[in-house]
Amino acid sequence: MDIRILRPSDIPLIQHANIENLPENYFLKYYLYHALSWPQLSYVAVDVSRPPKTPYDYPKIVGYVLAKMEEEPTDGVQHGHITSLSVMRTHRRLGIAEKLMRQSQQAMVETFGGHYVSLHVRVSNEAAIHLYRDTLGFKTEKTENKYYADGEDAFCMKLDLSFIREQLREDADEEKGANKDKSGS
Amino acid sequence: TAGDVEDEVASMAKSAEDRKAAAAMSKLDTRGDDDGAQANQVDQEAVKNAMNALGSSTDKKETKKAVKVDAADVNLLVEELELSKASATELLKAHDGDAVKAMRAYIQPSF
Amino acid sequence: MAPQTLSTREANLFRTVIRHYEDKQYKRGLKAAEQILKRNPKHGDTMSMKALILNAQGKTEEAFALAKDALTIDMRSYICWHVYGILYRTNKNFDEAIKAYKFALKLEPDSHQIQRDLAVLQAQMRDYQGYVQSRLVMLKARPQVRQNWTALAIAYHLEGNLQQAENILTTYEKSMTATPLKSDYENSEALLYKNTILAEMGDMERALEHLETDCKNCLDRLAVMELRARYLAQLGHKDDAAKAYRALLDRNPEHPDYYKGLVDALEIPADDDAALKAVYDEYAAKYPRCDRFRTTAKAYLTLMFDKGVPSTFANLKHLYSDSLKKATLPVLAEEYLKEHSSSSATEGQANGDSSKGVGAALYFLAQHHNYHMSRDLALASEFVEKAIELDPKNVDFHMTKARIFKHQGDVAKASEAMDHARSLDTRDRYINSKAAKYQLRNNENEKALATTGLFTRAESVGGPLGDLTDMQCMWFLTEDGEAWQRRGNVGLALKRYHTIFNIFDIWQEDQFDFHSFSLRKGQIRAYIDMVRWEDKLREHPFYFRAALDAVNLYLSMHDSKPQSANGANGVEGARTNGEDAAEKKKAAKKAKKEAQKAEREAADKAAKQDPNKAAAQKSKDGEEAKKKDDDPNGVKLAATADPLGDAMKFLGPILQFSPKNIEGQIAGFEVYIRRNKYLLALRCLKAALALDKNHPRVLDQASRLRKAVGGSLDSLAPKLKEVIQPELADVTAA
Repeated sequence: MDIRILRPSDIPLIQHANIENLPENYFLKYYLYHALSWPQLSYVAVDVSRPPKTPYDYPKIVGYVLAKMEEEPTDGVQHGHITSLSVMRTHRRLGIAEKLMRQSQQAMVETFGGHYVSLHVRVSNEAAIHLYRDTLGFKTEKTENKYYADGEDAFCMKLDLSFIREQLREDADEEKGANKDKSGS
Repeated sequence: TAGDVEDEVASMAKSAEDRKAAAAMSKLDTRGDDDGAQANQVDQEAVKNAMNALGSSTDKKETKKAVKVDAADVNLLVEELELSKASATELLKAHDGDAVKAMRAYIQPSF
Repeated sequence: MAPQTLSTREANLFRTVIRHYEDKQYKRGLKAAEQILKRNPKHGDTMSMKALILNAQGKTEEAFALAKDALTIDMRSYICWHVYGILYRTNKNFDEAIKAYKFALKLEPDSHQIQRDLAVLQAQMRDYQGYVQSRLVMLKARPQVRQNWTALAIAYHLEGNLQQAENILTTYEKSMTATPLKSDYENSEALLYKNTILAEMGDMERALEHLETDCKNCLDRLAVMELRARYLAQLGHKDDAAKAYRALLDRNPEHPDYYKGLVDALEIPADDDAALKAVYDEYAAKYPRCDRFRTTAKAYLTLMFDKGVPSTFANLKHLYSDSLKKATLPVLAEEYLKEHSSSSATEGQANGDSSKGVGAALYFLAQHHNYHMSRDLALASEFVEKAIELDPKNVDFHMTKARIFKHQGDVAKASEAMDHARSLDTRDRYINSKAAKYQLRNNENEKALATTGLFTRAESVGGPLGDLTDMQCMWFLTEDGEAWQRRGNVGLALKRYHTIFNIFDIWQEDQFDFHSFSLRKGQIRAYIDMVRWEDKLREHPFYFRAALDAVNLYLSMHDSKPQSANGANGVEGARTNGEDAAEKKKAAKKAKKEAQKAEREAADKAAKQDPNKAAAQKSKDGEEAKKKDDDPNGVKLAATADPLGDAMKFLGPILQFSPKNIEGQIAGFEVYIRRNKYLLALRCLKAALALDKNHPRVLDQASRLRKAVGGSLDSLAPKLKEVIQPELADVTAA
């Protein structure tokens, strides 16, 4: 498996993975909008087992996270938002979704100074809720009635990202210390 | 003003999810905001000098060789290679107006 | 005729027309425009504004007619020309739009808005020289805005003038009087953008230095780390490069490029397995990759089987290029089975999940024997049946069973089995999509559409197909088209291929807004990436497959037509598939019948549709109302008098963007030889031979071309002959 940043050329196959897997679909331009507004936040998982058949083959996407920063946060706090996350059924339970999410969260803090990340999830999607709540530590904020087109409710979930901020601060301090040692010697 | 609802893009969206997407997309082509873009603090003098330098450095026009091209040859290339008149003329010029050379070059694999 | 001038009151009214238009209050705008025109029916600017509003309401033809009238009345009005340009632009005729904008600009050289609109069009049309000129003008008008500097740098960069791009960015940096904040995103990105330009110029020394000083605090930390590792490696600073790649691996151990970078930096030879393993082990002990493979793999498989991870095989199949590993894995799985078969049946039932343990091992073996590199379908079938026996309601097991049927060539059973798998988990769209795909492979178009309809949005105009088309669902459109083609329904097959063609047009137009949007966002590197990708958009296999299908279909339409005057020579032996003429005739007749039936049904459906709903249809852009499809079943497409001409639309991009795909060259030859374009046929032939000089079809094409040219030598233009004869001799010699 290869987990790496999303590139514009990945988008047709990301769109393919999305419409094959999920009921919430978007046209290509909406993916472009993410890739060109917050290029650091979206990641893909690529199946590296298939050698290309022609020089024009694109890497097969088996999972992706499409993420953004909230443009006009109602609470005035900079934060990220997960627009869409999906892993192919054939590649589930390998921890791919978690890895995608962690890379995205890191960049939300580093690049955009995000304080937390939010997302919506179908109340019936137990596997996803398990990932967000138990593995990643999200908390359920509230329930949004009839959030989805078919009338299903959504849980609005949030994860505080200060643990990443602290880590970054520690790293920076360490580096500063190291540099001081170097110059002092 | 209910009469103007038809003009709203977001009204097509049926779910909260879609409304968000539609709203974001409708703002993409918002115009006129580089008018209002924040003017940064810049050294006016330095900018002026740079602007002057710009004008002079950009008129490096390549002088194109004057190659005579036979209209019959252009037509032949348009017909046999299905090029536009402009591209056919260009191709001919690139081969000193020699139609045989131009056609031969065109059919070689480009990779 | 002199243009009319407006009274003060009317001039005010004219301004409100513009405002209403900008606020998308079209009805009000129209009303105000009418008011002015009542007294001044020949006021060009008002007529133009009215045209603009009509266009926004989807009345394109009316709008163009009115805008033209306005121009004849007032040729000297920049507003009239600007509006004319906007009309062309919104109707995607960008070349004409550029011309109109240039006229407008001549009349009103200081209009920032027109200049900006023109610049965007030049970027879209890749007129980079023009784009540079436009951005220069814009910069001179507003040098205090950073965006204008960045934009000019982009224009030079895209034009290929890297040095000038760098100069522009540096000039702005030097003129800044205040140090930007660390959190200034625009500044951070401009620095990194400049750094990538330095690297593109090939001066890695300078790129590295710039990165380590100016970009040290850039907000895109990953980019800084990746660029630094790359530059260090390229400059031969092995120790530092290794350190840099280690730091990247700490961040993301799942990116193989980093391992490659590290291994290269450590100068480990490719055959030193022990050293390679040491590197991999450091980061991912759980991954069985190297020489003590057997023990590591056994532990890994045991863990995964015990947990019952269904994607174990998917995660290991990349190892199959190594024959030892390919041979070892199934043996290990069999051992696991032996060790657990006595206990686990009961164990599995005890914890209520038979997909764990033995079930998982059986499933692994079924997939192993179904995989193209280790295929034994009889064994695969045996294992999957055992797995199903253990856990009859397991979706994954049934899915693999369907795949085995597919590989056995039994599309009917495959479709049935996949639909059964779908019925076991109706809330999962993945299995739903697979079931629909297998139905299409079995030519069950109607059933497949109904299957996908379980997930498409209920309110979509045009039902499931409308939703799938709107959402640009390429796989369905392609498979549906191919199935219709197999069923002989030429119209619907062509319809789907044309829909895909149109979606690629949309994807190309999608970049339009980003030429200005990305400047506002300040994300320049991502924008450049997009531009370069869009330049080769149609090399995508999604395009190639549907376009090749279309070309081949048009070829067979041409060949099955009663022979007319065209294509008298060079056609024999040119059939693209094995069907004989009678069969084709039958298929054509059947297709016509089916198309008629489909049309009737569609008409019935439309008649029954709720009229209010239809009125509520909205366009995506708010720019133009959705046009009604006047050929939903492709009847008109199928009735074409010139199938070869129609094929050209699909063929052009194939040859331009995927020249190394031999199937495209072969199809290109077939089209050109039927059109007696010998030189172009020869071009395809030469390309195909360069790709595979022993391809039987290509060799056959060579002899057909020789025959065709030989038979018409006298009628060829002398210069054409001069080119073609030695080239053909060459081809024979090869």
